Amino acid sequence: MKRLALALILSAGAALAHQLTVFAFVEDGDVVVETRFSSGRVPVEGTVRVLDATEALVLETTLAEDGTARFPLDPGVASDGLTIVVETGEGHDNYWILTPQDIAGGRE
Amino acid sequence: MRYTLLPALILAAGAAQAHFGMIIPEDAMIAQEDGRGVDLTLSFSHPFEEAGMTLEAPVSVSVTHDGETTDLTGALTPAEVMGDAGFALTLDLPRPGSYVLAMEPQPYWEPAEDAFIIHYTKTYVGAYGVDDGWDAMVGMPVEILPLDRPYGLWEGNIFRGQVLRDGEPVPFAEVEVEHYNQAGVPAPSELMITQTIVADGDGVFSYAPPGDGWWGFAALMEADYTLDHEGSAKGVELGAVLWVHFEAFGE
Repeated sequence: MKRLALALILSAGAALAHQLTVFAFVEDGDVVVETRFSSGRVPVEGTVRVLDATEALVLETTLAEDGTARFPLDPGVASDGLTIVVETGEGHDNYWILTPQDIAGGRE
Repeated sequence: MRYTLLPALILAAGAAQAHFGMIIPEDAMIAQEDGRGVDLTLSFSHPFEEAGMTLEAPVSVSVTHDGETTDLTGALTPAEVMGDAGFALTLDLPRPGSYVLAMEPQPYWEPAEDAFIIHYTKTYVGAYGVDDGWDAMVGMPVEILPLDRPYGLWEGNIFRGQVLRDGEPVPFAEVEVEHYNQAGVPAPSELMITQTIVADGDGVFSYAPPGDGWWGFAALMEADYTLDHEGSAKGVELGAVLWVHFEAFGE
């Protein structure tokens, strides 16, 4: 239910032209976050917040200039999935949910 | 009014039935909440009447994403589609963007037309809110280039495509249009089952569907070769088929 509320809030903010899209996957023990606008441009700055399955903040970092972020996967907090929230300002927010299956698949 | 009450079987007995190669995903746009894949069916059918035909094992089925083409022929499983033999497939969608599904069927011998039919069929799936690659081509001998993103369209939107043969536009190509009539909309005339439009001098056609759902576009051309049927050389109809989903407006 909390995730649904989060999604609704974010989707209300994201309903703009040049919508931000967020995608994340696990590679070599890291979580890799990729972002871009619908125009094709990538955000050059932004805040990345990582929430665990209880919506607790477990990490906060920033986007690199290529619109990506990378941080080590902590299996201890990721076992039930992670929500990656990216905010680039002016209502350009969105998120990606890394499910336990995504995480397991990326670690194979 | 009298004709709208005709049973489908009587309409089906007419000569207006059009064959369509079909690739139909369960949804043309997949959100992250939908999972990481999409189920598809592949068939050779009469989509308006929902009348199935047997689809023999295709020569090839592939998916193209971000410039890479992957052969999926070995992943097909037999499935019943519209009451006849077709195939099913679960397509993995590991990353955002457009996925182009393409099928080359075996030549179908049509006794009534004394010719073979080969429908090179494709459709597009958009994953996770990113539409990169929505106009990607797969290099089939005959193919429709979408000039509008072939998903994320409202019913009533004009959709445009360009008919290409060996990569070149086909002036004044004939394009048959048919709805996959899953809701059982009655046809007031058998002429309404398959609509026929003609592209312009650049091979560009446009169409605005009156309702939501899947709409198929089949640009038909005669091959410049023949195939053997019981010792006789027979003509071959080539079809560049594209399936596009239009969304209901206001629902």
